Amino acid sequence: MNLIRRFCLLLSVLGLGLMISAVAYGQAAAPAAPAAAAAPPPSAAELKDAAAKAPSTADLAKGDPGGSLTGTINDVPVSDSKTGLTLGDTANQVGQNKIAINFTWTLIAGFLVMFMQAGFAMVEAGLCRVKNANHTYMMNFFVYGCGLLAYWLIGFAIQMGGAAGNGNLGGLQALNTEHPLSLFGKTWGIFGQNGMFLSGHTYDVGVMVIFLFEMVFMDTALTIVTGACAERWKFLAFAVSSVLMGAFTYPLFGNWAWGAGWLSQLGTNLGLGKGYCDFAGSGVVHAVGGLTALAVALIVGPRIGKFNRDGSSNAIIGHDISAVLIGCFILAFGWFGFNPGSTLGASANGNLRIGSIAVNTMLAGCTGTFGALLYMWGLKGKPDTSMSANGLLAGLVAITAPSGFVSAIGSAIIGLVAGVLVCLSCAFVENKLKVDDPVGAISVHGTNGLWGVLAVGLFADGTSNYGGGWNGVTGSVTGLFYGDASQLVAQLVGISTLLGFVFTFSFVLNWVLEIFIGQRVSAETEMAGLDIPEMGQLGYPEFVLRPEAETMIDSHAMAVA
Amino acid sequence: MAANTGQGRSFTTFLVGLVVACAGIAYLSTGLGKLLFGIGLLIFVVSLFGFLTLKPLEGKPAAGPTPAMMKAVGAFLAALGWVITLFGMHVVEGTSGRLVLALVGIGVSLFGMIYVLPTAFNKNAIWKA
Repeated sequence: MNLIRRFCLLLSVLGLGLMISAVAYGQAAAPAAPAAAAAPPPSAAELKDAAAKAPSTADLAKGDPGGSLTGTINDVPVSDSKTGLTLGDTANQVGQNKIAINFTWTLIAGFLVMFMQAGFAMVEAGLCRVKNANHTYMMNFFVYGCGLLAYWLIGFAIQMGGAAGNGNLGGLQALNTEHPLSLFGKTWGIFGQNGMFLSGHTYDVGVMVIFLFEMVFMDTALTIVTGACAERWKFLAFAVSSVLMGAFTYPLFGNWAWGAGWLSQLGTNLGLGKGYCDFAGSGVVHAVGGLTALAVALIVGPRIGKFNRDGSSNAIIGHDISAVLIGCFILAFGWFGFNPGSTLGASANGNLRIGSIAVNTMLAGCTGTFGALLYMWGLKGKPDTSMSANGLLAGLVAITAPSGFVSAIGSAIIGLVAGVLVCLSCAFVENKLKVDDPVGAISVHGTNGLWGVLAVGLFADGTSNYGGGWNGVTGSVTGLFYGDASQLVAQLVGISTLLGFVFTFSFVLNWVLEIFIGQRVSAETEMAGLDIPEMGQLGYPEFVLRPEAETMIDSHAMAVA
Repeated sequence: MAANTGQGRSFTTFLVGLVVACAGIAYLSTGLGKLLFGIGLLIFVVSLFGFLTLKPLEGKPAAGPTPAMMKAVGAFLAALGWVITLFGMHVVEGTSGRLVLALVGIGVSLFGMIYVLPTAFNKNAIWKA
């Protein structure tokens, strides 16, 4: 009997399954219903009727705890009260909503990126000695003001003065002056002009949004330099250098990549992929910052006690590793504004990819951490904290450019390579170049910024669609591994520009400042610590400072080599 | 002598010069704009001389003299690599050729940046003393 029951049960299940499959197949196989007759456009009477049926003031006065009565046709502004609500009014509201969503998204993302300043401050100060804490924090604090002032005065105009045409933010038509150069029969954008002081016709709601967003990106680049030159950079020299970087160095390259400049035109003018593509700024922000950091670190020179007479290096440990790790989390949080925010919108033009971009960012940071930690643990014997932190940041830096164009797997690979690369680069910079970089900024941002730019040319998978094209070229950004070698060439031109122009420009500029101001503090100031001589106050006045030799680890095992 | 009132005044002068010069650039097509630009530039130059006056009073840094010519050569090579890449894009048509030239240009730039310049700066490095 049991066997019979089981057999009947089995037959029932099979029968049910067959029925379900038949229904599904029938649905799939059913011929398409004849197209319904097109609905007649809503007449004014229909709109008026819908308005009449909407909740009245009296209904709303009773309260709306569920939210089902709030936000109706009565909330659409009417252009002519005599005519009443029209289709034009409705369409205008749809357009306003799209722009409002994009404004809100871009601004909130910009606020997140601004908060990264706190993260940078904590990471850098944590990796420096106590006697320089105030000075290091203060550089990261004041760089915000220096950069913002310079960018408002002239930097924004140079970078974005000719960037009109962004449909996400209402068109930005006020930014319509790009100075071109004709070369080899083509026209190339060199720098913009509109937007100085945000006055005149650039006193515009859309321009304000893009200014805020681009300014916080610019400031990230400026703050990178303070890390590489910490513990010996004269505060006056830092301030002047930062103002000039925010006014000229960053905006020039930013214009070429993002402001309708010549790098973005490599696709339309020379057929190189979609032109130089840098979604959120591995090149524009991080490589610019990292290469400028290298230039200034060369000029400033290594800290006293960093290198021995035989050229071997000493690890000068930071005073607060907890600040470093918390700072890294703040940076990782802010990066959710950095990368996904670079769509400049959350509505239309493929902007729903913001979730993918955010996940790509997380994944690359994760695998970057693993790459650095496992490298250090396997080769040096300890899961080094500061290098693991740098691994996280390296992954985030490297994914910044490709984040809008690659898959999750691609992101993971990019981050993993970045994590290992930062360790190798730190060792190279310190042991071969003999350049002292207290926080690893050159390797995290410079080396991995360049890797991120290159990664676009390799891993961009051609599935993104931001309004049907990029940089004026129809189609999706596609890298070498997915069939377009010319995109790799465009990225290499960008890398060459970063190395050959940005580095050289920064080097010459800071060399001039070395002549006029002197970049480095005196030896006495450096030995005493920069807090009192430069800032007039200790960072931690109640700490009792031990002699230097007791706080340094003179161990080659701990050096990144 | 580290941070002092002289530095503060010179930096303030620098900022004023920059603001006035930028205001001039913003309205450069007008006579007032040109005047502001000239005044701003003058104030900017005055601030540079202010910095120059203060520099000798601020003590000797822990850095030795470095060969200026070698530094200039390093910077020149870094820029030359970029020029090679740019002209390569126009001289060569195919993707492979452009790829090769871009890599050559990057190589030249890197040679200047990570070999010539560090060698110049490490020639009389303080840690060698």
